[in-house]
Amino acid sequence: MSTTTSADAKERGDVSLLEFLDLSQLDCLNEDSAHTLKSILAQKTRNTSASYLASDADEQLILNIPFNQSVRVRSIVIHGSNPTQAPRAIKLAVNRPTLGFEDVEDAKEPEVAQILSLSQADVMEGRPVALRFVRFQAVNSLHIFVGSNHGDEDTTRIDAIDIFGVPVETTKDLSGLRKQDE
Amino acid sequence: MPLEATMMVIDNSEYMRNGDYQPTRFEAQSDAVNTVFQTKIDSNPENTVGIMTMAGKGPEVLVTHTKDLGQILQALHTASSKIGGQIDIPTSIAIAQLALKHRENKNLRQRIIVFVASPLEGQAADEKSMVKLAKKLKKNNVAVDVVCYGDGIEETTEEDKGVLRAFVESASSGDNSHIISVPPATRLLSDALISSSILSGDRSSSIPAELGGTGDIPAASGSGGANQFEFGVDPSLDPELAMVLRMSMQEAQAREAAEAAASAPPAEPTPAAQTTAAAPSSTPAAAPAEPTDDEEERLLQQALAMSEEDVDMEEGGMDEDEDEEAAIARAIEMSMRPQEEQKDKK
Repeated sequence: MSTTTSADAKERGDVSLLEFLDLSQLDCLNEDSAHTLKSILAQKTRNTSASYLASDADEQLILNIPFNQSVRVRSIVIHGSNPTQAPRAIKLAVNRPTLGFEDVEDAKEPEVAQILSLSQADVMEGRPVALRFVRFQAVNSLHIFVGSNHGDEDTTRIDAIDIFGVPVETTKDLSGLRKQDE
Repeated sequence: MPLEATMMVIDNSEYMRNGDYQPTRFEAQSDAVNTVFQTKIDSNPENTVGIMTMAGKGPEVLVTHTKDLGQILQALHTASSKIGGQIDIPTSIAIAQLALKHRENKNLRQRIIVFVASPLEGQAADEKSMVKLAKKLKKNNVAVDVVCYGDGIEETTEEDKGVLRAFVESASSGDNSHIISVPPATRLLSDALISSSILSGDRSSSIPAELGGTGDIPAASGSGGANQFEFGVDPSLDPELAMVLRMSMQEAQAREAAEAAASAPPAEPTPAAQTTAAAPSSTPAAAPAEPTDDEEERLLQQALAMSEEDVDMEEGGMDEDEDEEAAIARAIEMSMRPQEEQKDKK
């Protein structure tokens, strides 16, 4: 599993895709009602405040992250400040809005787009983790299943999330339109 | 609580033929389902409600996610001809969850309301497996309400709070799941439900705050406690009636004030004297309402007394139309009088 630095990402023209989030559809299963996914993504930038996302009944989480247009995802950042509660095994799925725990617990590739094991250092330092770019080409919603954490704790804690990639040019993205020279 | 997709799981086992709830358990349940449906739809126009049975040959979804009362009534009618078998709570809840998962609008929170009037058997009686199921529901953001009545009411002791209560408590996240028990013969199942914590969240949003729209009346509050409210009616139970009573009182007060102001300069003693005369006559009218359970009767008497009071002020017109006519006649008369007086002075 190779990791890329943010400098590499910038060279390729990747941007943070958080600005394309559709906040009204944002949803997280098994989140603690006091520490929600919304609290760390509502700013549409990487969370730097004290709020964090925590799991409730057990250590598993499903983060449903919808975008307001199609995007291509190249890498993700999952940052946790507590080493034992940091997420370890994660599965990523694309465009599966009805994903539930029972669908994804035993799922393998290619049923889910990618299965990853995050290292403790990556999570603690918030380093971007490269994804298989070809499998994330027309992402309208990204679903992150967190299966376990590093310390086998009952609660998983995520402090910040960032997603890098490029938006797919569509008519929906009017901000990308420019005047053409005649 | 706004924006919810609700799945009602109703009991249609043989136990529903019991007549301990008027007229039968099943009819009482149908009434309650209707109430829940109306409350949910009224609280937010985007809310949807579905319905399924859990006994018969097996759990069966009758209607998924509708806002149409007709479909609910049709489903209840269908279910009423399929009474039989035994309930299967765990399977039913799993099916209800699946139905909720495929709701159209993902913004809706998921809720399952289970009606239980049969004794728990098999897996449903096993607290461990039920708590496990509850944890699964909690994980999937599904709230669960349980309405126990008839044989569904569990015998509880200090240590053992009952399987269903443990189930609801494990499924609750942020106090979003509730359980109520409605013993027979106290009051209607739907009445008990509407003043309970299960529907308080939905009712509070549709009732103005000044009429007590917070709706946090404990489920246990019996009919005897109703008299502590103004006009002897709980405003959250019947907001329209409370509003009408309040408006009628305000109108009467305004009219009295206007009359007092109008009658003072010409020194005309009749209206004031009549009001005082009418007041004692109206009190006996309200008195015969004995402190029984039928609050409606009492309210009716009170409203009647109030309207009579108005009528008496208007020189004893018995009909509403006559009352109005008398008022107009009086108004004309009053408006004429000052002119006449002025003419006299001239």
